[in-house]
Amino acid sequence: MPTPLDLIKKKRAEAVSRIIGKGYLSTKRVYVGMATCEIAAGSKDVMEVFQKAISRGLTDIYLSQKGCAGRCNLEPTVEVIEAGKTPVKYGKVDKDRAMQIIERHLKNGQVIQEWVID
Amino acid sequence: MTKERELAVATTYRIIVCDGTTCINRGSRNLISRLREQLERHGLADRSTISLSGCLGMCDKGPILVVNPGYTIYGNVTEADIPEIVEEHLLHNRPVARLAIQEDHLYNRFFRVFGDAKFFGKQMRITLRNCGIIDPENIDNYLSLRGYEALARVLTDMTPESVVAEVEASGLRGRGGAGFPTGMKWKFTAAQKATPKYVICNADEGDPGAFMDRSAIEGDPHTVVEGMAIGGYAVGASKGIVYIRAEYPLAIKRITKAIEDARAHGLLGENILGSSFSFDIEIRLGAGAFVCGEETALIHSIEGTRGMPRPRPPYPSVQGLFGLPTVINNVETWANIPVIILDGAKWFQTVGTETSKGTKVFALAGKVVNTGLIEVPMGTSLREIIYDVGGGIPGGKKFKAVQTGGPSGGCLPEQYLDTPIDYESLAKAGSIMGSGGMIVIDEDSCMVDIAKFFLEFTQNESCGKCTPCREGTKRMLEILTRITEGKGRAGDIEKLERLGNMIKKASLCGLGQSAPNPVLSTIKNFREEYEEHIHQGRCRARVCTNLVTYQITEKCVGCGACRKVCPVVAISGTAKKQHVIDQDKCVKCGMCFNTCKFDAIVKV
Repeated sequence: MPTPLDLIKKKRAEAVSRIIGKGYLSTKRVYVGMATCEIAAGSKDVMEVFQKAISRGLTDIYLSQKGCAGRCNLEPTVEVIEAGKTPVKYGKVDKDRAMQIIERHLKNGQVIQEWVID
Repeated sequence: MTKERELAVATTYRIIVCDGTTCINRGSRNLISRLREQLERHGLADRSTISLSGCLGMCDKGPILVVNPGYTIYGNVTEADIPEIVEEHLLHNRPVARLAIQEDHLYNRFFRVFGDAKFFGKQMRITLRNCGIIDPENIDNYLSLRGYEALARVLTDMTPESVVAEVEASGLRGRGGAGFPTGMKWKFTAAQKATPKYVICNADEGDPGAFMDRSAIEGDPHTVVEGMAIGGYAVGASKGIVYIRAEYPLAIKRITKAIEDARAHGLLGENILGSSFSFDIEIRLGAGAFVCGEETALIHSIEGTRGMPRPRPPYPSVQGLFGLPTVINNVETWANIPVIILDGAKWFQTVGTETSKGTKVFALAGKVVNTGLIEVPMGTSLREIIYDVGGGIPGGKKFKAVQTGGPSGGCLPEQYLDTPIDYESLAKAGSIMGSGGMIVIDEDSCMVDIAKFFLEFTQNESCGKCTPCREGTKRMLEILTRITEGKGRAGDIEKLERLGNMIKKASLCGLGQSAPNPVLSTIKNFREEYEEHIHQGRCRARVCTNLVTYQITEKCVGCGACRKVCPVVAISGTAKKQHVIDQDKCVKCGMCFNTCKFDAIVKV
């Protein structure tokens, strides 16, 4: 009879493989802040820009929402995480900035330094 | 092939090298080439990836290197250490204890992702450890970060008594504001014979400007669900209720989804994870009354009666919901529980001060550069929060006070900036911890006006059951209003003090007992501002409209812009000559002040 601890470890392994199956390790991970505060600042529009780009053929992206990390005055925030590179967090991202992040950062690997929160 | 070797070969390692400025200066980038070379040498290159991370927040121990899976953190790593790490840890699966600086703690995991060291450097995230990291609506994300492992652990090898003992030993105190020891609360309920018992999560966050609970639930709802399930096991309850305000639709949606997902995974419901423990959670929405955050009023509201407090004892832990033993804890308190179970009470005790253990979440707002949601260890000073995490006051303005504890708290001036944050120190300084609102006030704010703002709120929210709160706050507000209108009388300050102290002593519940605090603390620390209002008809911050006059100085170039916007035609003058304001006509709307491009209009 497996113990609850055995069961939860199995569940965790399954969860991890499901996440990896979605490209967690192999792609560029893009996180868009989607708490009430971020949404109020306009993050839904930003999310839509990324979703649209993916539906129009942008590949190798693991797009996810996330909660509020606490940078109220710099919201909406978008993070781009890629294996082998320093994670990048952008602040005050609007539709236009989102499009440029797609063009310049995601497609051409060029970090847009002036919008980075550091 | 040895067994260890087999294991190592089967595992894919992910090595994270901290790429923060300090680590780079200390030589972290040289480690990478050395790592590559060693991985090649041992034939591990195909099965390992090397990643860089932003500042991990452990600069004093840099360069930092993290080996996953296992999240082993190595500090002060030199090039000479690399062969040992690769051979011992990666090849033989024996972490190098000599260099490891941290075990697999739950807290602070977020530093792997965030590079924002200025803002996050002094923070320590226990309850917000997953906030802003994971997708809150995806249970897989939570499970992958040791989610529900604490629940599984208590169900596997802890008795309910030992869970209560662990929480008690941790020193955790209620994060809703009053700071009652959580373990003791649980012990009282666990000792009761009457059944069924209940656990309640109080998410009826109502302080103006506070958003800790909302953000916590929106960012990581499963932590709260897991904490409640552990609480249910510890006290012998099979039912939990989340009482959340209806004004938080997204938080409601996310916690509802979390509960459904947990049920689907067998983490809530009958026989959780194959054990004999059954527990489920339902959601109740608050109807928008501030007083329903008070535990007895909250219970009345769930029962379907009018949300009004009742005298205690009996305390809810003995006679709570439907007269049965009930544990009520705040969102943040529940979110601490999984960490206490997995990282241990012993570790939790090492964080914080003598009397207040762990961390506290604050909603940092007001006149501060980095407004935000922060979590700092107890004992951090107000100065560190405002100047280091918050980045100081914007626009070169002068700090005046910091308001903690929302409408139940007080305003602390500059001499209290080095007060360490804990329940006792803040109380001694004349404020309270409260649920975590923190508003920074600069020289542009009038303290009488601020006191009036908070009192207006509590006066509005008074449920009206007891006379001191209902009538007393009304009278206090009348006096304050009269002072800000320039009609203050001698003796008003003393009257406010007398009334305030009386209301504090005689009110039934926490709302009334704390409502006068903003007024009493501003009188204590900024008495001269009250006196100026009353005796000199002066508001030094120039906020109180009746005490301000607008004047045009010689900087005026006579452009006429102010004359055009004045709604009552109080400004006269000819083109290119200095204009004047007719003080009898002026209604002090401030339109001219906002319009003038030459800073020629001043408030005096």
